Amino acid sequence: MKPILRQALPLTVLMAAAAVATVPSARAEVPATCVKGVNLATLGPKSIVGQGPHGEKAASPEVLALSEADVAKIKEKNFKVGISMQTVNLDWSQLQIQGITDTLKKYGVTVTGVASAEYQVDKQIADIENTIQQHPDGIISIPVDFTATAPTYKKIAKAGIKLVLMDSIPTGLKHPEEYATMVSADSQGNGQIAAQILASCMPQGGTIGLVNFGVDYFSTNERTKGVREWMKANRPDIKMKQVDFTDPPKVSQIAGDFLTGNPDVKGLYAVWDQPALDTLSSMRAQGIDIPMTTVDLGLQSAIEIAKGGPLKATGSQRPYDQGVAEAMAMMNALLGKETPGWVGVQSLPVTQANVLESYKTVFKKDPPAELTDACNKAKPACN
Amino acid sequence: MTELTAPNVVASSTRSDRRRKILQNLLRGERPYMLYIAFVILLVVFSLSSPWFLSVDNFLNIGRQTTLVSIIAVGMTFIIIARQIDLSVASTLALSGMAAALAMSQINNSWIVGAVAGLGTGALVGLINGILTTQLSIPSFLVTLGSLSMARGLAMMVTNTKPVIITNETYFAIFGEGTFLGMPVPIAWTLAAMVVGILLLHYNVFGRRIYAVGGNPTAALYSGINTKRITTAAFVLTGTLAGLAALVLSARSHAARPDVVQGMELDVIAAVILGGCSLFGGRGYILGTLFGSLIIGTLNNGLVLLGVSSPMQLVIKGAIIVAAVAFTKR
Repeated sequence: MKPILRQALPLTVLMAAAAVATVPSARAEVPATCVKGVNLATLGPKSIVGQGPHGEKAASPEVLALSEADVAKIKEKNFKVGISMQTVNLDWSQLQIQGITDTLKKYGVTVTGVASAEYQVDKQIADIENTIQQHPDGIISIPVDFTATAPTYKKIAKAGIKLVLMDSIPTGLKHPEEYATMVSADSQGNGQIAAQILASCMPQGGTIGLVNFGVDYFSTNERTKGVREWMKANRPDIKMKQVDFTDPPKVSQIAGDFLTGNPDVKGLYAVWDQPALDTLSSMRAQGIDIPMTTVDLGLQSAIEIAKGGPLKATGSQRPYDQGVAEAMAMMNALLGKETPGWVGVQSLPVTQANVLESYKTVFKKDPPAELTDACNKAKPACN
Repeated sequence: MTELTAPNVVASSTRSDRRRKILQNLLRGERPYMLYIAFVILLVVFSLSSPWFLSVDNFLNIGRQTTLVSIIAVGMTFIIIARQIDLSVASTLALSGMAAALAMSQINNSWIVGAVAGLGTGALVGLINGILTTQLSIPSFLVTLGSLSMARGLAMMVTNTKPVIITNETYFAIFGEGTFLGMPVPIAWTLAAMVVGILLLHYNVFGRRIYAVGGNPTAALYSGINTKRITTAAFVLTGTLAGLAALVLSARSHAARPDVVQGMELDVIAAVILGGCSLFGGRGYILGTLFGSLIIGTLNNGLVLLGVSSPMQLVIKGAIIVAAVAFTKR
């Protein structure tokens, strides 16, 4: 036993430290007026506030409507379109794909396949090159990285294939020669919604923490910019601190440590819903209960908002509608019609009060039992 | 084996001899002691650098954050001592989590069903890894490289890559959010896994056989040890612990997701090697593994508290890990 006991000595010290510990003290300073003072009717921008990656003004998805003659031409040509995603593991991705495939199918356009790059640049380069080899008429894609993948995206136009982009434009690609359109949410608008609701929960002079994606990416940059600019313009009393992550699976650890090292932080913004959920998991473990807002809506984040816990709201994209717009833009391009450089889709504020209705708007289907159950338990706050 | 039994040699001497030999070990850079010293150096450096580091809450942070790596690393210690490798542990965790969540959603929302499904799935993946490695004589590197991909793919397939929500409060309390003897349950599970690991490795014939198989497989075979069965058992143990880690993670996040902890197998292997295990088999110990894991966790934690940028964290972490291994290997 002795050698083992000796080995166990440092462990004993560690266990003793753990044993004397109790559940960490909760940071629970959410004002009673949190979110309740926010009027949904006036919440968030009523038009697209952001600009495109090249400073473009947003075009509305309506400009992509097709005439009956256009539809007839599309159906006659039997076009084929490939899709290259950064991942398919998000509700966001699934809804985009669903919006694209539903729309293309309606007009007789075949989807040749959906490639998922799993956030890896080299895999996306291979995915695009393989898709080009299938000789589709068009490719719809979101770049994993807008610099390293740019030369590969340029090959698409050279191969005579139309390109429609989601969310970001690879460096140096020219409109309309090398891509037809980029479709994205109004990321700045979504950031503004997250900021406005978080501000309603913050006392005068409070400090918020921004859990931000540390990779230079257009849409996520725009969201955080939206938060920062809204706070500076409307709540200059609020101080902002920021922690960046580059590896999404590490968010739980990074956010937990950030909260430990910054006990003055009384509110959080996370750049999209999964980092928000990972941050929430750390907050639960540490017994911290401070308000948080984010951008994007998934089932789990909808449930957390419905419960009325720390996750108060989100500025949601409308990924299905964005997918529809991408498909419509692609068909316009295939017909040789001129398409705008950036099509922006209006943001959607989601709080406990409208989460069920928002779920239907975003997912185009009734909420599942898990969400309605969570809402029923939180009634009347959750409708 | 020599380094593992170094404390045994010390134990048979007088007290003054023991002190002298411990000091000699320290000066010579004996791995077990240098590991603790490296850990203490980190604690001191971070304590002096950040006012937030030296607190019970923060140590609990580190404990919780290292839970997944620590639990699986207990099993990986057996695997590496047995001269094998398991690259599939992170994917096994993802698949086990999905199995637990799906089983609960299908059968009465029962946490027991979820736990059995999660642990069982992990054990099954381990069993398949073990059988393929030992019966078909395929190197475990290749077998588990394949199962890494297959398990992750299966985890994605079963729900078309969507997360499965968990709503059982008892499950959350037992595996993720409750407390046991004043400590968060993830830490209690880590300690439980470690105690089981120590008992199996150091106080059981199974442990002695693992060392024998890893130290010299041919000699072990001629000594009458069923090397295939022992190796397979190590894979099953590791798979089961990956299942346990899946229960902890899914209970903490209130959902099982197929894309979780990608690449974590490297952290697990790093913790085991840092803890004194030899990649060539036959040497290693559980407590070292735990401290290897804690060193990595403390680095992650301390660098964030200091506000070091994310890319710089990677540089510093990598450099310190390499330096620590080089230092303790002298």
